[in-house]
Amino acid sequence: MLTHNLWLAWKSVRRNPILSFLIIAGIALGVAVSTSFVTVWHVLAKDPIPGKSDRLHYVRLDSWDPVQPWDEEDNAPPPLLTYQDMRAAMKSDIPVRKAAMAQTALYVYPGSPDQRPFREAVRLTFSDFFPMFDVPFQYGSGWSPAADAKPEAVTVISSELNERLFGGRDSVGERLRLADREFRIVGVLAPWRPKVLVYDMSQNPYAEPEQIFIPFNLFEPMALSATGNQITWTRVDGNTFMERARNSEMIWIGMWAEFDNAGQRQAYLDFLNAYVNEQKKAGRFQRPLNNRLTAVVDLMEEWEVVPRQAKALAVISLLFLVIAALNLIGLFLGKFLARASVVGVRRALGASRRAIFLQHLVECELIGLIGGACGLLLSLGTLALVNRYYQPAGVEEKFFTLDPGMMLAAIGFALLAGAIAGVYPAWRICSIPPARHLKNQ
Amino acid sequence: MELGPIFRAMMRHRPRFLLIVVEVALTLAIVANSVSLILEARSEMTRPSGFDEENLIYVSSTPFADAFKDPNYRRQSVDSDLRALRSLPGVKAASHTTVVPWSAATMSFGPRVAGTQKESPGSQVFFVDAAILETLGVGVARGRGFTKEEYDANPAEQPLNEYEGPVLITQTLADALFPDGDALGKVLENETGGGHFTIIGIVDRFYKPAGTPEFSQSATLFPIASASERSAGYLVRTETGKADAVAADVEKALLKADDGRNVRVRTIAELRTRFHTEDRLLVAALNGVMVLLVLVTALGIVGLTSFSVAERRRQIGTRRALGATKAAILRHFLIENWLVTTVGIALGLALAYALNYGLIIWIEGTRLDWRVLAVGVAFLWTLGIASALGPALRAARVPPAIATRNV
Repeated sequence: MLTHNLWLAWKSVRRNPILSFLIIAGIALGVAVSTSFVTVWHVLAKDPIPGKSDRLHYVRLDSWDPVQPWDEEDNAPPPLLTYQDMRAAMKSDIPVRKAAMAQTALYVYPGSPDQRPFREAVRLTFSDFFPMFDVPFQYGSGWSPAADAKPEAVTVISSELNERLFGGRDSVGERLRLADREFRIVGVLAPWRPKVLVYDMSQNPYAEPEQIFIPFNLFEPMALSATGNQITWTRVDGNTFMERARNSEMIWIGMWAEFDNAGQRQAYLDFLNAYVNEQKKAGRFQRPLNNRLTAVVDLMEEWEVVPRQAKALAVISLLFLVIAALNLIGLFLGKFLARASVVGVRRALGASRRAIFLQHLVECELIGLIGGACGLLLSLGTLALVNRYYQPAGVEEKFFTLDPGMMLAAIGFALLAGAIAGVYPAWRICSIPPARHLKNQ
Repeated sequence: MELGPIFRAMMRHRPRFLLIVVEVALTLAIVANSVSLILEARSEMTRPSGFDEENLIYVSSTPFADAFKDPNYRRQSVDSDLRALRSLPGVKAASHTTVVPWSAATMSFGPRVAGTQKESPGSQVFFVDAAILETLGVGVARGRGFTKEEYDANPAEQPLNEYEGPVLITQTLADALFPDGDALGKVLENETGGGHFTIIGIVDRFYKPAGTPEFSQSATLFPIASASERSAGYLVRTETGKADAVAADVEKALLKADDGRNVRVRTIAELRTRFHTEDRLLVAALNGVMVLLVLVTALGIVGLTSFSVAERRRQIGTRRALGATKAAILRHFLIENWLVTTVGIALGLALAYALNYGLIIWIEGTRLDWRVLAVGVAFLWTLGIASALGPALRAARVPPAIATRNV
């Protein structure tokens, strides 16, 4: 039955090519616009680390000014930790994995003399970082917990940097000079470009990951300075960064913890609360207890990671799809009612209303799908344009792309448009009394 | 006027006219809100920084040579860089500073009136030399700028807590700190303790994005050299229209002065474009969507009206045979369309406000301006009539003889 209906629909599409073209073009436009801008929103807003997003929690302690909360509106704790509190939070063994982190910039000295030294952003973190965030390796692996503790001068580099420095060969075990120190490469990442920089959303959440990773504990021996946010509400003195950071209230470190279950999470929160209560006795943490462990998606929501422009565009583009479909109702009506006499004959010969209705609905959905396919192709063009637009903001050519989920959604949009445009005309034509049209032959 | 018959004829085809009503209403709601979003984004994009930004270039130098670990070497290097920059053809002024217009990164502190416990309004911090005002292309509303001697007297990278000397503040910060006016000559200190900052001048125009509009315009300038072991920044002001040409020469000139570092050059126009990426995308996309929307709506109205005409050819023929003029038929369809469009517009006004409300609470935005709606209403009326005109003219051409056929 369906194949027969499809055959009838195809014949009908070909019978009136201009009208069919207009309808297909209308649906294609609607699907193209909605698919493109819902994709933009989807890429920016989707769960960046599916399967783990409810297990990874961001650690925040309210160490802020007793007189003035960090956030007057929501009473959120500050987004980063002080050095001393990070040390305390890292001591617990309750989380399955845990990693504090900060950013710096170091000069890289390539081995070959014909390459100039260049400065690169560097992530300082702990060994758990790599398994926690599912970081893919091409060669070698992350460093060991022993390297954290010592700390050893070991590094993990990106595939891009490996390409640049070593021509893409397996460079594990090679030496690399960063600032004034020789590092041993223990791992080379596979190409890795998460759309959302899950582990550090406090700055630009859509930035590329750093090219170099080194143990956090090298911060002191190498006398480094952090390049990310450093915020304080008390006086901070000292000549070097570490002197200013070590025992002060300056916040500058992000930290994530991974749990297997809610019990662990609660136990760790209890541990943190106990630590803060202990500190209160020593005169720190004079604000009400407000420590939080926040899951990835909740943190994205709280920090309003998705630009509002992307949300507004997604809403408006979906409304556009609905209007485009509504506007096609008139064209479908004209197309169907031109065949009223044929339908009248079929009805008189015994076709049920249901059969006629289905036949026309199948035609609408067929046209919807043809339009949807054209729309999907158009949306590839639109997304290429959007990618070009976003390039000044540091986004590379293939940032906004269709994923399988969005392709399914596009098919859904096409079927929806076909249904919106087609249900009323199909109902109209099936409810025509057969006698009226037979009379006129 | 034959409003009565027109209305009764319409009531016989309610779904069809309801459809046009809904189309017009949704179109008005979306167009009005899109225009509103575009206007908002455009006002953000065209906001002036107050600086001569079309002719500004930002240059950053990141040293790797060991020589730069010596503060004296750094000081000399800054001086020779500035000499090299100023001697480039087309350069009007150059300054060693941390002011980078249209960059998102910012450093801030909490200045308050010395000796009080009042909460600080907060301010951005910039380190500048004596050439900064000339380079930015701004002036002082009151007081004066820094002298070279004031700048030379301070050690490089001096901590704010220890600084005692002159500062410049912006008008917005002056108003926040001294609501009664007259900030000139007053003394500020750091909220977290230390410092003794004498206000010697009020900068008249200043906008460097940093969250809120007030904070973006609140700044304190210190005459302290900021060149560190890791980086040094310069702003260069060129003659009108020469920014790109000068930018192309800067790297070579600075590397000639000292090769132990990397130099990066960007025009402020580039930084500005980058800063507004999201807004530019929004404006471009909404413009495109609106054009398509208007096309599609016009197409929809043409389609439905044509259908309406085709279906009533016999009745039209009969009316013509009974003496109705062509003008009367034309009028019938235009009035019919006008009625439907008007109902659609009325519904659309309500929908526009509802959508606006939804956008504000879900995404944030501004209230719809009634003038935007007024323009939208006029536009849709015109669109409705224009779309109906073709089919209505076709209706008027239906020959009366058709009434005699096929009965």
